[in-house]
Amino acid sequence: MDQRHRLYNTYVKLLAFDLLSLTQTPSHSFSEAISFSRKGTLLSRIETVGTVTYRELKPGKFLKFAIDDGTGCISCVLWLNHFSSTYFARRSPPDVRLIAEAANRFVAEIRLGSVARVRGRITNYRGVVQITVSDVIVERDPNAETLHWLHCISLARKCYDVGTPNK
Amino acid sequence: MASSAIKSGALVSLEEIHPSSPFFKQGASLRVTGKLQEYSVETAIAIVIDGNANLKINTQHLRDLSFRVGSVYQFIGELLIQPDNEAILQARVGRNVDGIDLNLYHQSLQLLRQFQADHLSTP
Repeated sequence: MDQRHRLYNTYVKLLAFDLLSLTQTPSHSFSEAISFSRKGTLLSRIETVGTVTYRELKPGKFLKFAIDDGTGCISCVLWLNHFSSTYFARRSPPDVRLIAEAANRFVAEIRLGSVARVRGRITNYRGVVQITVSDVIVERDPNAETLHWLHCISLARKCYDVGTPNK
Repeated sequence: MASSAIKSGALVSLEEIHPSSPFFKQGASLRVTGKLQEYSVETAIAIVIDGNANLKINTQHLRDLSFRVGSVYQFIGELLIQPDNEAILQARVGRNVDGIDLNLYHQSLQLLRQFQADHLSTP
């Protein structure tokens, strides 16, 4: 695997200000249609931890929410249209049911003021970088956000930035 | 999407909220952490302290949060600077963070700021 793709398909831990500064690259022949570039390295997935400061639920369609990690606000979308969308129609029904059940559990847990660890694909909506959510865990440990900042800084310095052109 | 109108609460320590600080701006979105010293049910005003600094927090819009004097809380909201230059944070979210390691928190804030500054200076 070449250097450009070494972080592709892994859940990269980025601070919000870093995520929001990623540039979208044109689609190419690699497996995913969309990818984002950070200092020459391609990313497709991200993990963030922060406080839920916005929540908009359209039952059966989606839950939109925002995660504030202290360095920026990340827009997140959790799709809830598992039984009506053509995207999910391509997958096996038992799998879709499991995904739908998990998504509905997440909806109950994502509340204004709660701290959540969110994983998902990096996507673009009307020019704004956002996360299409695959997984959510509510973090009850009051030190979880502090530890996430430290992880992001440490990973950037020791791993993500290593070998990139500007460092 | 409406969520793009939600501003991120800048991480500040209570001692940084004073008239000559760059954070002391009308409507600035801030995130603060401190120990609850006083709370009034009638006015919904809480006073939190951290070291020698304190700050008033307007908690009227917060739901599902019980206030215990001595517990540590974190709030995200907008700064309202009154005519007498006293600041009060209009909180939109808040939570009890008892068990937080405040030393680690404050040290990490400094590291975070340094990291952001380094990132901005390297394109």
